[in-house]
Amino acid sequence: MADQDTPLINELEKGPWPSYVKEIKRAAKKNAAAKDLLGVQEQSFKDRITHWKHGGIVGVTGYGGGVIGRYVDMPEEFPNLEMFHTMRVNHPSGWFYTTEALRKVCDIWEKYGSGMTNFHGSTGDIILLGTSTQNLQPCFDELAENGFDLGGSGSALRTPSACVGPARCEYACIDTLDICNNLTHEFQDEMHRPRWPYKFKIKVSGCCNDGVAAIARADLSIIGTWKDTLRIDQEEVRNYVKNGFDIKGIVIDKCPTKALDWDEKKKELVLRAEDCVRCMHCINKMPKALRPGLDRGATLLIGAKAPIVKGAYLSWVLVPFMKMEPPYDEVKTLLRNIWEWWDENGRTRERVAELIERLGLKAFLKAVGIKPVPQMVYKPRANPYVFFE
Amino acid sequence: MTEGISEELKQKVLDYLGTTSKAKNRDVARAIEVDKALVDKAIAELAKEGKIEYLYLGTSYIQLKQQ
Amino acid sequence: MGKTDLGPPDYRTMLPKVIEKNYGKWKYHEILKPGVLKHVSETGDEVFTVRVGSPRLVSIDYIRDICDVADKYCDGHLRFTSRYNIELMTPKKENVEPIIAAVQKLGLPVGGTGNAISNVVHTQGWVHCHSAATDSSGLVKAIMDELYPYFISMKLPARLRVALACCINMCGAVHCSDIAIVGVHTKPPKVDNSKVTALCEIPTTLSSCPTGAIRKDPSNPKSLVVNDEKCMYCGNCYTVCPAMPLADSVGDGVAIYVGGKVSNARTAPMFSRLAIPYIPNNPPRWPEVVSAIKNIVEVYAKHAHPEERMGEWIERVGWESFFKLTGIPFTEYHIDDFTHAIDTYRTTTQFRW
Ligand code: HEM
Ligand code: HEM
Ligand code: SF4
Ligand code: SF4
Ligand code: SF4
Ligand code: SF4
Repeated sequence: MADQDTPLINELEKGPWPSYVKEIKRAAKKNAAAKDLLGVQEQSFKDRITHWKHGGIVGVTGYGGGVIGRYVDMPEEFPNLEMFHTMRVNHPSGWFYTTEALRKVCDIWEKYGSGMTNFHGSTGDIILLGTSTQNLQPCFDELAENGFDLGGSGSALRTPSACVGPARCEYACIDTLDICNNLTHEFQDEMHRPRWPYKFKIKVSGCCNDGVAAIARADLSIIGTWKDTLRIDQEEVRNYVKNGFDIKGIVIDKCPTKALDWDEKKKELVLRAEDCVRCMHCINKMPKALRPGLDRGATLLIGAKAPIVKGAYLSWVLVPFMKMEPPYDEVKTLLRNIWEWWDENGRTRERVAELIERLGLKAFLKAVGIKPVPQMVYKPRANPYVFFE
Repeated sequence: MTEGISEELKQKVLDYLGTTSKAKNRDVARAIEVDKALVDKAIAELAKEGKIEYLYLGTSYIQLKQQ
Repeated sequence: MGKTDLGPPDYRTMLPKVIEKNYGKWKYHEILKPGVLKHVSETGDEVFTVRVGSPRLVSIDYIRDICDVADKYCDGHLRFTSRYNIELMTPKKENVEPIIAAVQKLGLPVGGTGNAISNVVHTQGWVHCHSAATDSSGLVKAIMDELYPYFISMKLPARLRVALACCINMCGAVHCSDIAIVGVHTKPPKVDNSKVTALCEIPTTLSSCPTGAIRKDPSNPKSLVVNDEKCMYCGNCYTVCPAMPLADSVGDGVAIYVGGKVSNARTAPMFSRLAIPYIPNNPPRWPEVVSAIKNIVEVYAKHAHPEERMGEWIERVGWESFFKLTGIPFTEYHIDDFTHAIDTYRTTTQFRW
């Protein structure tokens, strides 16, 4: 594929944002499949449709997931893409790496694959894009020799992910990395052997800024919070104000529950603790002066998903506050109970939230052994159609 | 993680699989009337020991390893 | 059989020394300038982070280039963020400028912090997926070339998150972004009945359709027909039945949704809502999509109060004002008629003109 053969995608080498086309071209110098990938990109730009299709299911021995089979629909023109499967490689929690580990992955992928990757997929895995069926097993074996394993796909637990948390964020109320790592290791079987109605995701954010979008994207969202009062360093508050920070406009007026006031006489920030809903806003704006409280744990929410099929959901509060200490037995038991109920009652391709909507939150709470509390709803029902037992 | 799975339980799983061509973990747990979490662990161990194998037909089944 | 069920590598083996030592002890942080963070620990230690934009779809040589920078200045450690940015961390302040110089030499931008437009969360598109109604990496490149000034600065009222999914399966789970771009098919699948029996399980295919639009052909039980009136082009059927492709070079394009957020700061998380129902694909640079997005960003930047996310601004001024200020026409497509539609109908006499 010479440069003049791809006039359309060449356009995307221009401009200030780094170009993926340049990246494919780099890989194409060393790899025939990457070279064909340029061609198929150009073809799609010309035809304005995709040129990928389904095909046989592929995988590695012992696993029912972690590999996505891909096939080009023009194999005569692009013979090196006849098979172009993806491998999902489970990232270390928080996406921290040593260069040694990363170079290892690169070397393995140079040997067995196209040399193209996604760092990372939207669920969090390292995505290795493009290899043949016969290379899957040796590639996997070599990854495993070097301490890497595949992530989830299909109707299974998907690769859990976590924000940077206590590793480099002062807001983290829970050890996001340890929780994510611990749960991922505990549930390897659930990840690698799909046996549920559909996928299930777990994401862990250290605070409700929610850097991994747990509340929008995870069937079980684990979000750090605190139960006592946020901590105020009045000296530092005064420093902000002294330096011209608009405490009234940016903090006081923006507090959703009007829990804050600025006492101009005493030069003190006043907090009505019972009104604070721990939204993080004031802390975000004055990180030197304000900090989360010390009685820390997580809010567990259930059910978020993208729109397919019956519309999108944000997660619903399930456990307003749970302490999060290793070995995290309480969460693990809860997860097992949820899965058992869903597996027993769910239809094919029905996410847990859809099942809850179909059978009712009441039935779900009963099945997993959780008592209703007002924190679960915005408001109680307005209709009189109660089924008494 | 896999401690405490008795040989007796694993044998029960193998015996049940001997009576059927393939089964889901849930079916096994129900048939031998043992808690599913324990059965899951027993099955994972048996797979590691190479006594059973997985079969993926839309969802995961297990069967006795074909000799 | 080789090793299985190892799980991911232990993150503890991947942490830089300064992070390991100060794990859980961070006290506060500052943004020194766009793309550069300073975190200070209770121990007095400091770590400087340079956040670097990445195109995500990259070659292994790119990863090796980044590793070279990390080896030189960051003791051989680095991390990625949930939005694909690369973060190079060092306890040494004097390393910050050399890191910036080194990544800029690789052609990579530094930014994405604070009230900026960070990297675009996105999906696979025409490089990899069978259901794509638009490309992903190409469209993101075209958009980010235009929004670049907002990546390397922090001049917006609040942070602005852009995400793109190349079909309504939404692998990127874009539905809670300030601006969400979604690939849409607008034509029903074309059934290839000569392949249905070989490739598809008929009951599964029938039940895959959320609107019940697929039936067996009464005259031939081995064939399928789609009721075009009922089809909402979701592609569910194609995912289970490869003989029902719905890609269409004329009908495919993108829709733009706005005003979503995931953070709980100030207001509860919100869904993104429909602003522009359809813009046809126009590769390689999708100029109509890019200028529509730029317009929305600029109107937001001009009218929102400080600290107001897109959705918070729109809720304050009302959707009627959003359509007026952006000049985007409001059409019948904007009125919801799906599962939770009624919640969106106005039940008050309060509104603006
Ligand atoms: C064969 C075509 C497809 C390709 C190439 C594809 C690719 C991907 C990739 C690479 C990821 C990220 C995975 C990771 O990081 O582990 C992903 C995530 C996802 N996919 Fe797909 N996918 C495809 C089909 C689908 C379908 C059919 C659906 C829905 C029915 C779907 C829904 C999702 C969702 C919701 C996510 C997760 C987003 C999140 O974590 O927030 N995808 N997909
Ligand atoms: C309104 C407040 C905030 C919102 C809505 C928010 C949202 C987000 C989002 C969407 C990301 C992904 C960004 C990316 O990868 O480029 C993110 C990442 C991150 N945010 Fe925030 N954030 C907020 C406040 C903060 C503050 C004040 C800090 C500083 C301590 C912070 C620290 C981080 C870090 C360290 C990441 C990278 C996390 C990761 O990818 O693992 N966030 N945040
Ligand atoms: S979600 Fe909270 S704890 Fe996690 S990185 Fe973001 S601000 Fe920090
Ligand atoms: S955390 Fe939110 S609710 Fe609580 S005082 Fe601060 S701004 Fe108000
Ligand atoms: S969003 Fe749709 S087209 Fe894009 S990768 Fe996901 S399933 Fe494929
Ligand atoms: S595209 Fe969706 S709505 Fe249309 S026939 Fe297929 S499954 Fe049904």
